[in-house]
Amino acid sequence: MNMLCHGEMPIDTENDIVMARKSVREAAVSLGFGVTDVTRIVTAASELTRNIYVYAGSGIMRWQSINENNLGLELVFEDHGPGITDITLAMEPGYTTGKGLGMGLPGTKRLMDEMEIMSEIGKGTTICIRKWLRR
Amino acid sequence: MATVSVIKIRDILLVAVPSDPDDFTVSELQDQVLDALQRYNAKGLILDISTVETVDSFFARTISETVKMVALMGGLTVLSGMRACVAVTTVQLGLSFDKTLTALDVDRAMDMLSAAIDSMETGL
Ligand SMILES: Nc1ncnc2c1ncn2[C@@H]1O[C@H](COP(=O)(O)OP(=O)(O)OP(=O)(O)O)[C@@H](O)[C@H]1O
Ligand SMILES: [Mg+2]
Repeated sequence: MNMLCHGEMPIDTENDIVMARKSVREAAVSLGFGVTDVTRIVTAASELTRNIYVYAGSGIMRWQSINENNLGLELVFEDHGPGITDITLAMEPGYTTGKGLGMGLPGTKRLMDEMEIMSEIGKGTTICIRKWLRR
Repeated sequence: MATVSVIKIRDILLVAVPSDPDDFTVSELQDQVLDALQRYNAKGLILDISTVETVDSFFARTISETVKMVALMGGLTVLSGMRACVAVTTVQLGLSFDKTLTALDVDRAMDMLSAAIDSMETGL
């Protein structure tokens, strides 16, 4: 049977990106996701935690299983960094203000079923992503 | 931090990429590989990623860069052993290992490199 799970961890150091991948992998496996979906979810978590580390310095990642008709996993990434000036632009493949590929945000959207970005300049950024277990 | 081992087999360097490396380890790997290429005067490099479970944009960028750097030094790189789930995720994420030679496993990568190095040498 599927267990409900939830947790949170701070993202302060580069190593926390590795720890976040481990926690998310465990949660996704325990919910019964297949290996490809687990890889998609873990990769998305890697992108978003690295964005926190690189652009905001620190933040927090939360995860919880969700149950609305269907079972799924929800991940929330929250920081109090500089915020994203233009979310539409940031979602464009290839757009980067750093030295990345600009693939993290648009790629995450493709890997997940749902993605919401809330960001306020000078206040911070909250990104919520969800993946549903295939019915 | 995970350690990276570089093994030399004739003219070829074999590097087993650790399964869940942090960013520092991935950057270190690049330095180590370039250093070993020069030190051993190697002609080919196999980056085996068969144990790697997550390829994200940082990993892909660093590996692609490494392949280009090795090419500038006259070496040829083959990326071997990408898992099916990683291949699916990599393409959906929008990452392209453009112009990177790939092989299903280390054996095939060895064959590819040996043949390429041979034809390079007889061509001279
Ligand atoms: N948490 C965040 N806080 C502030 N800005 C952010 C945050 N996350 C993303 N951004 C902005 O959005 C841009 C696009 O992010 P995205 O992850 O798509 O690409 P990248 O990080 O620049 O490169 P890549 O992820 O491919 O290495 C970033 O360059 C940055 O300007
Ligand atoms: Mg990014």
